[in-house]
Amino acid sequence: MYRRRSQSRSTGLFLILCAAMLLLAMLSEQSWAAGARGVAKSALAPLESTMTQVADRVDRLTAVFGDVSSLRAENQRLKAADEALRRQVVELDAAAKENATLRQALDFERSFGHRMVAAQVVGRGPDGFSRTLQIDRGTADGVQPGMIVTTGAGLLGRVREAGPHGAIVQTLGDPQSRVNVFLSRSGLQGTVTGGPAALRLDIEHSLGMTASSGEWALTSGVGGGYPRGLVVGELASITHRPSSTSDQAVIAWVNDPGATSLVLVITDFVPS
Amino acid sequence: MNRLAGAVLILATILVQVTWAPRLTIAGVFPNLALVAVIAATWTYGVRAGMAWACVAGLMLDLTAPGPLGPHAVALLAGAYLTGFWIRNVDPDSVLHPMLAVAASSAAYCFIVVAADDTLGLPVPPLDVALQLLVAASFYNAVLMPVGLVLLRRRQATPMISASSA
Repeated sequence: MYRRRSQSRSTGLFLILCAAMLLLAMLSEQSWAAGARGVAKSALAPLESTMTQVADRVDRLTAVFGDVSSLRAENQRLKAADEALRRQVVELDAAAKENATLRQALDFERSFGHRMVAAQVVGRGPDGFSRTLQIDRGTADGVQPGMIVTTGAGLLGRVREAGPHGAIVQTLGDPQSRVNVFLSRSGLQGTVTGGPAALRLDIEHSLGMTASSGEWALTSGVGGGYPRGLVVGELASITHRPSSTSDQAVIAWVNDPGATSLVLVITDFVPS
Repeated sequence: MNRLAGAVLILATILVQVTWAPRLTIAGVFPNLALVAVIAATWTYGVRAGMAWACVAGLMLDLTAPGPLGPHAVALLAGAYLTGFWIRNVDPDSVLHPMLAVAASSAAYCFIVVAADDTLGLPVPPLDVALQLLVAASFYNAVLMPVGLVLLRRRQATPMISASSA
């Protein structure tokens, strides 16, 4: 008897709390509540920043066996240098393919001379379903929703929400992110989609041209969502599908959101 | 005072989850410490206390995720409520049952979060990927459950949030 009463009381409480949370979700989704929501979301950013620093220190302390820590730092430095050099090679390679008229039309300066705000990654999405990052810059620093986020290696994602002193970045790893790209050697066009393990690329067929492993994928600027010329990744493997209108490829993304600590927000590019 | 200590503990758990836990990613998922804490609290202090933990932890998770405030709280509430049923019908001292409860709650949590994201127009993974993540998350959280229970049971002498019976 007592058990049944207790169960119905729990059910009542559960229903009331669920209703309250759904009401809160509906209210906080309204446009007039966006400011308050942004303030609330950026309130945790300083704590997350402190926690990230503590976690980094703990990581360093635990890496005491042998020279693991120094080797890791050296490896990271070399990796960063390698990525920067490879990006330069790819960009130069791609730029060489453009004739002067195209270069003028694409506004080279706009593609490579953007104004940027550097931000630190202070947290990640709360579960495996949201491939997001939290950064410590917000509207007070000129960061707005929709802005493009990169690292020194290449494209990382887009600002989804921004509060005064923090923002949430949706990375390319998000399953619904779409980026139009072109390939550095063949010039073929395609669309990169996100995924938990790797980025996937659908390459449109073109007469006499085939994509090959090792080619680089750069943003094409088609659709106006991203500026042209940002490195996305390298073609790791390709599945040719002669009976289809496109081939499928796996992209080795130049960024690892799990290891990224510093990002750049492009503040003067407005996605159309 | 106990409620304050509980809130601080939940905050610390959330901060660890969004800063440190992603370094432990396996098969695309990392530990959902908030869910493990809520289920451990439900198992230790009762379903009503568990639901209180779920609301607080869920709202904090919502602060770290894109979209409105509320979906993660509903997902954790469902986990606590489901665990409430479990507790009433099994031996509460068993180690296996809390693990199964957290695995089932992980599945409910994943389903609610994906459904909420889909309803709100936020990015959701394709079905096969979502199922893969669901299975991996359920297994991962189940493995961590005994640790969460041991930690909370050590504090059981001084319950943090008004512990009501299930």
